[in-house]
Amino acid sequence: MNYRFDWSVLWSGQSGSWLVQGLITTIEISVIAWLVAVALGILSGALRTVSFAPLRWLANVYVEFFRNVPLLVWMFFWYFAVPPLLPQPLQDWLFDHGAEFWAGFVALGIYHGARLSEVIRSGIQSIPKTQFEAALSTGLTLAQAYRLIIIPIALRLIIPPATNESLNLIKNSSVALTIGVAELTFQTRQIETYTAKAFEALTAGTLIYLALCLAVAAVMSKLEKRFAIPGMIAKRQVGEF
Amino acid sequence: MKRLLLFLASLVTVSGNITAAVAETTLEKISRTGALTIGTRTGSPPFAFVNRNNEWVGFSIDLVEQAIMPIVAKKTGKEIKIEKKESTPQTRIPLLTANAVDLIAETMTDTQSRRDSVDFSLTFFATGAQFLVKKGSPIKGLQSIAGRRVAAQQGSTNARIIRERVPNAKLLEFPDQPAAFQALVQGQVQAYTNDGIQLAGLKAKAPKPDEWIVVGEFFSYEPYGMAMRKNDSDFRQVVNVGLMEAIASGKYFELYDKWFGPKSDVPYPLAPETKRFLQMQVVPK
Repeated sequence: MNYRFDWSVLWSGQSGSWLVQGLITTIEISVIAWLVAVALGILSGALRTVSFAPLRWLANVYVEFFRNVPLLVWMFFWYFAVPPLLPQPLQDWLFDHGAEFWAGFVALGIYHGARLSEVIRSGIQSIPKTQFEAALSTGLTLAQAYRLIIIPIALRLIIPPATNESLNLIKNSSVALTIGVAELTFQTRQIETYTAKAFEALTAGTLIYLALCLAVAAVMSKLEKRFAIPGMIAKRQVGEF
Repeated sequence: MKRLLLFLASLVTVSGNITAAVAETTLEKISRTGALTIGTRTGSPPFAFVNRNNEWVGFSIDLVEQAIMPIVAKKTGKEIKIEKKESTPQTRIPLLTANAVDLIAETMTDTQSRRDSVDFSLTFFATGAQFLVKKGSPIKGLQSIAGRRVAAQQGSTNARIIRERVPNAKLLEFPDQPAAFQALVQGQVQAYTNDGIQLAGLKAKAPKPDEWIVVGEFFSYEPYGMAMRKNDSDFRQVVNVGLMEAIASGKYFELYDKWFGPKSDVPYPLAPETKRFLQMQVVPK
């Protein structure tokens, strides 16, 4: 490979501040989208386990519709197809206030909400039926049983797959560059434009994503230990068996 | 953690070693494989695009096929075929340096910083950045975009100039021309900036070409060159001789007329000073 590496491009000029800006935007869009995804995921995941068929059906439609279309298509959908349907003043306001960011986190949040929904449903369904019956027999209503007993237990059970899904969400936020969101991948390309040093820029981006995801995974692993329910899920040390 | 760091360090070392291993020149590679692989665009009419008959054609591709290939064949003494791969502003330099393609022939602007990574042929086309707007738009050029939403292509030199010269313009960057044009059609942005010739090509391909207009003086200088791996002067000589002979023999101007002449899809008359500039790049035999 006939290529001269020059790592100094990463800290000379504006590259450093671009990477920081990109990282901030990636974190912003990921956090907001994650909150949307968790809210939608819990709601639809719970609805998929209720006995009232129309609600179950509604949640099913949401999950199957949104998780089975590529994220890239959803990005274009929320950015290009939705704004023309809005009233003109709202459209103008959106275009002047970062429509691409809005479309980006809505697409990301709704898409990952559908995926998270399945994780939460499997968590709920892994809880023994007797737990549910016990909750109802103490006089709680159905909604209270879900809110106070079932969902809190389910959330403690699903931390490992939910971590997986959250890391995917962070990495998928890079798709938002297709609609012009200046996140981390976008900024690494920007550095490439200015310096023509593609390998260096991509390496920097790779390491930042790796560090970010490792940090999130570490936090989630702490949470998992802290909230593990003895007897239902236990984090064992390697070689304990 | 320590083990992870060691692993990463070893990865870096290994990739560093690969750098030194390969030492085949481009002409040797072409001679061995019997093919010249070029990186080119699929959506940049009329330089390189897929036309209505699903053929991958364009001015840049014609220059390679009709001006450079004969010299390559003569130099290697073999029948050489041409292979095309898609390249984008983000992938073209890595494609070259990874030996996936031998020549970038599309709409790549020759710049000083890019010359640190690749070598360029002589300039085969010169244009400058302008704006594509809806007819009747108040935007008339670089002076009237302050505070307005403007689209540019990611990785283009134009975006960079706007950011530097009109920092309060709201710049939105899209990965490709179709996405940027869609944003312009829907009103997400009020203007789209790119090299004037590319905007003319886009306008010609639009569903209703009369609705759009290219405005403004050139606010940048965009000399297009063909890019090659660095430090391979034999191959660069072949490419340059091909281009020079085409300009000297008039073949270049025939091709220009085919793609930019009055009867073409994108009429774009060759300015006399540009013609003179092209001719002055031809050094004596």
